[in-house]
Amino acid sequence: MSAILAIGRPQLKSAFASVVPLAIFLALLGYFGLRAPGFLEPATLILILKQAIPTAVLGLGLSIVVIAGGDDVVAGGIDLSVPSIAVLSAAIIADQLANHGSAAVTAVALGFAAAIAAGAANALLVTRVGMTPLLATLATSTAYIGLSKVVTANRRIDLSDPLIVTLRDGSILGLPLGLAIATGLAVTAHFAVHRSRWGLRLQAVGGNRDAAEIAGLKVRRFLAQSFLIAGAFGGAASLFVLARGSGSTPGVAETLLMETVLATFLGAAFSPRRVVTVWGAVLGAILVSALSIGFGSVGVDVFWTGCIKGGLILIVVAASALARRSGT
Amino acid sequence: MSAFVASLPALSRRGLARHGFLAIIALCFIGFAVANPSFVGAANLVNILSGAVIPLVVGLGMTLVVALGAIDLSVGIALDFGSAFAIVILKDYGAPWYLAVLVGIAGGALVGLANAILIVRLRISPFLATLGTFFIGGSLQRIFTHGGGPISYRRLPPEYYDIAVGEVFGIPVRLLIATALLIAYFLLLERSTFGKKIHAVGLQSRAARGAGLPVGKLVAIGFVLAGATAAVGGLVASANLRMFTPLAGNAYLMDAITAVFIGASMHRDGRPNVLGTLTGVLFLSMVANGLNLMGLDFNLKDALSGLILVAALALSITQHRRRT
Repeated sequence: MSAILAIGRPQLKSAFASVVPLAIFLALLGYFGLRAPGFLEPATLILILKQAIPTAVLGLGLSIVVIAGGDDVVAGGIDLSVPSIAVLSAAIIADQLANHGSAAVTAVALGFAAAIAAGAANALLVTRVGMTPLLATLATSTAYIGLSKVVTANRRIDLSDPLIVTLRDGSILGLPLGLAIATGLAVTAHFAVHRSRWGLRLQAVGGNRDAAEIAGLKVRRFLAQSFLIAGAFGGAASLFVLARGSGSTPGVAETLLMETVLATFLGAAFSPRRVVTVWGAVLGAILVSALSIGFGSVGVDVFWTGCIKGGLILIVVAASALARRSGT
Repeated sequence: MSAFVASLPALSRRGLARHGFLAIIALCFIGFAVANPSFVGAANLVNILSGAVIPLVVGLGMTLVVALGAIDLSVGIALDFGSAFAIVILKDYGAPWYLAVLVGIAGGALVGLANAILIVRLRISPFLATLGTFFIGGSLQRIFTHGGGPISYRRLPPEYYDIAVGEVFGIPVRLLIATALLIAYFLLLERSTFGKKIHAVGLQSRAARGAGLPVGKLVAIGFVLAGATAAVGGLVASANLRMFTPLAGNAYLMDAITAVFIGASMHRDGRPNVLGTLTGVLFLSMVANGLNLMGLDFNLKDALSGLILVAALALSITQHRRRT
């Protein structure tokens, strides 16, 4: 804000450029609203939010790993296996419900146990074995996707369990149930990372590992925790993946990965310091979902959406990169 | 394992620590050979090498990019562009094979150039820039092929077809191409001043800039070369199938990244390096081939190859750390 108040040209330019990303998106949403009547109606907006839930929940997990590990993709923190953890957990839950007649509680408990174990395996590989997070999670994601294929025999499993149906269609205080739960998760994650002592330390570890170590923080413990938490969010996301798809579908892991990575890193463009944040990841997920539905509703050829999406990401990120350059 | 290792006096302990991954590869190799003797047959060994050609070619470009401290998620797109440009110019313009090869490579270089502009001029982080190219490139292929249908051309010039299936003195041409690129990349990255500069940028980009290196130019060259190299993989793929298959290149992305990081984890200083990438690619190809020969369930195979990868990496890296 102080940048706007200052009169200097560079500051003005910087302030302008940092508003550009959000302005582009708002302009696009306005355009969709004009072109496709009904786009700005509550029903569509709720649909956009509901479609964004799995990506947003995965983005929460990924953003915590990135915050703890630093945002250098090659050497810092990244967890490419969160979506595959969700797919594995979803496969286990679906298989238990549909093929073994387990109670919903048992099925979900097993799925979550697998997700936590997967997160623990990542934590172990990164903090104890000393693997680069990118390599470790790339390797484990192959394994998790493979395991999920073994569980489901790579077939679709339809689910009509009350739990999944409630999560999909239920509502609480007029708000869709899934949306309420996801909002709860996001708010919790936001306060934990950005408003608590633990979160401050987590950010310190990600900001400068050596300095954090010297300051007496147990760096490895924070890194391990971040991967465990990401695993847990993977488990939570699995329920929403099941609800969105009314069952477990093979082959969704790759799309989920791309969308999660996109949402999380796009979110950085909306933070004042251009760093990955929890709420940025959520906002990113909502915007990606809004664009998908928006382009669909104005009748853009589906083959073009990748092009437009990619172009927008680049414009938004370039705007924020240029803002950072002129700001410093 | 370590007792077996200590009993080999010819190998120093330090040397072995660094080559722990090679020992694991050897163990896997023996395991697959025991499970199915035809695994070690000459024909199958050639199969393993042939299967490694495209991943190696893509992985070499990735090695260069990762050595620069960046990453390229669009190598698969560059591969597709190489294949598409070559097939289209052969089919629609009746171009001679060598022109098709050049145009194909130019197609891949174009993708690299787009990345270079985004990263160097617009200051977008390599991860996001190449993710953007990934989305746009994939979409362009769908638009061009009206939804992703392959473009096949059965009457390829024989010389072009030979890229994939020809032999010189009994050695498959694709292996020769891969070997030539391997040597070129080895000399470029590990034995030249240019390579030293690349590693300098990757290790300490600010220090490199301070030392007067043209960092932006080096990054740009790196991405263009990586795109052009991946396009060679596209030439091999398109010659082999006699068609351009849209979006086929993305299948190699994860393998290329994995191979480069396997290689880096074997390196003394954890740097990406050409021979390490070669080892990584051969390991992945061997595991895929070996599991195939065991006739396992398709789904189980995927899970096993992932688990073998995790276990092999974890073992070799722990050993590496303990010994040094």
